[in-house]
Amino acid sequence: MADFIQLLVNGLALGSVYALAAIGFVIVYSATGVVNFAAGQFVMFGTFAGVAMLSNLGLSLPVGYAAALIAMAGFGALFFAAVYMPLRNSPVATVIIGTVAVSIVMQNAALLGFGSWPFRLASPLDGITFDIAGAAITAHAAMVVVVTGVLVGLIWLLFYKTALGIGMRAVAQDTEAALLMGLNVNVLLVLSWVLAAVLAGIAGLLLGPMWFADVNMGDPIALKAFAATIIGGFGSLPGAIAGGLFVGLTELLGASYISSAYKDLIAFVVMILFLLVRPQGVFGERIQDRG
Amino acid sequence: MRRYDSLFLPLAILLLGGLLSFVLTDYRLRLLNISVISAIAVIGFNVAFGLTGLISLGHAAFVGMGAYTLAILTTSLGWSGWLAIPVAIVVTIGFAALIGFPLLRLRGHYLALATLGLNVSFTIVLTNWVQLTGGTNGISNISDLHLGSFAFNSEQRFLWLGVMFLAVCAAGAVLLQKSALGRAMMAVRDDEIAARMTGIDVTRIKITALCISAALAALAGSLFATHVRFVAPEDFSYAHSIVYLAMLIVGGEGTVAGAIIGAALLTFLPEWLRFLGNAYLAFFGLMLLAILIFLPTGLVGLVARLRGRREQGGATP
Repeated sequence: MADFIQLLVNGLALGSVYALAAIGFVIVYSATGVVNFAAGQFVMFGTFAGVAMLSNLGLSLPVGYAAALIAMAGFGALFFAAVYMPLRNSPVATVIIGTVAVSIVMQNAALLGFGSWPFRLASPLDGITFDIAGAAITAHAAMVVVVTGVLVGLIWLLFYKTALGIGMRAVAQDTEAALLMGLNVNVLLVLSWVLAAVLAGIAGLLLGPMWFADVNMGDPIALKAFAATIIGGFGSLPGAIAGGLFVGLTELLGASYISSAYKDLIAFVVMILFLLVRPQGVFGERIQDRG
Repeated sequence: MRRYDSLFLPLAILLLGGLLSFVLTDYRLRLLNISVISAIAVIGFNVAFGLTGLISLGHAAFVGMGAYTLAILTTSLGWSGWLAIPVAIVVTIGFAALIGFPLLRLRGHYLALATLGLNVSFTIVLTNWVQLTGGTNGISNISDLHLGSFAFNSEQRFLWLGVMFLAVCAAGAVLLQKSALGRAMMAVRDDEIAARMTGIDVTRIKITALCISAALAALAGSLFATHVRFVAPEDFSYAHSIVYLAMLIVGGEGTVAGAIIGAALLTFLPEWLRFLGNAYLAFFGLMLLAILIFLPTGLVGLVARLRGRREQGGATP
């Protein structure tokens, strides 16, 4: 039982990180129609932004976290200008390979900047553990779940209660109509990329202390985020959250109770089954034909 | 002149390959052999993606299926490579048909993500089904192909074999592109609903395209296994599928010449960019992005565009 509780909490924490990565992916997809294959590298950049600010520059935790997220916001805007704008009218395959190209650039830029040795990113709650029914739960894992919960709430408020978020949803639904209604579509599109990059940054900062900060961490995260998005429902925010949690839980519970060698297979097999049987995912939303 | 197009490309391949086999160093020949093998895989990928518009990110799994089938048949069962190649092709076609029926209902990025997931799953199975595949150690000691006492065991000799296969595949692909089947594939790519209206069986065309694509991938995989004489899971990871897609896009999608040029270019590029050291891959990514933005039709498209401009310039005094 103690083992189970521990796996459950760790699975939820890992799943929360996947969910954040998937939410960033979904926000960008809904707003711009771009399937961002560099989404995993966004998270990796978040972790290394943390490494750069906290370990290399030696900033204090709050200042370092803020600086890392500001850097990620800048990166999101840069991505919009340098990658999205030139490719926005290209066919799907070109956009896919374009984001893959960016993903290669990001991974190797990080390799050049930080080297192939893994870093350890500190957590503000290092060394604190709770004992719940015999299970040792790290305070960091609990914090990851709480932070994700709060962020999800904030994102909901942004999209459903503020003019800015409603504008972003309008652009996602119909760019031309939004333009006709006098919305500043380009500003809203930049904000989508910035928001996605910042969320990925937070995911990266949360993930750093759980894994080692390694420049190759982007690909596995991206694959899990894709699986989460498909399972939950492509383009659906609740779907990204549910899918992320599902993938995180199957990864840890599956590794323990089924087979550690095939733990990753479970998520992908479920993903492919969903694509075949229910391509709109659990939270079936209208399938967009864009992108 | 048009009528001989399908002959021109294979003859050029044979001539160029034969010539290069005598002048290049062994190391360059090795790279050339790898380009020839990749070119066969990319010609196959072009049938699925370039002609029919199926965005697959799982082509490396088909290549791996062919390579592993040949490796298992020749090492565990002691088969001759010549016998194992057709069996590897048939097994891979079977696999393609099996996954094709459910998967090809998907389109665009759904298909891309599904095939990506399939490729990842394939690598996981290769890594963990140790009794059959040797796990991460892979399968080694795959024997050379040979005719009587003549073994294709040097880079030069393998190139002769490779260009022969490549020439036949290129000719077949050019003929396919001009056939009714090829035109039906392009119709499905351009407008599925319109294609269905004209009486084309869209599902059948898509499955056929995927099977042809898988057959060429399996041939490439078989050749890879007998060339390197060793197969391991990482040779067929989804990253390789992305490389095949990049090769086709850089060369020019929808054209056989583009598939070959892209495969050769991206195989030799690391060699030419060696002076960049560790920055090579970052540069590679930037270059790929630049090609996508500035040359959306690839190198072949650029040549066609330049030629068109010159002709236009000639027409207006």
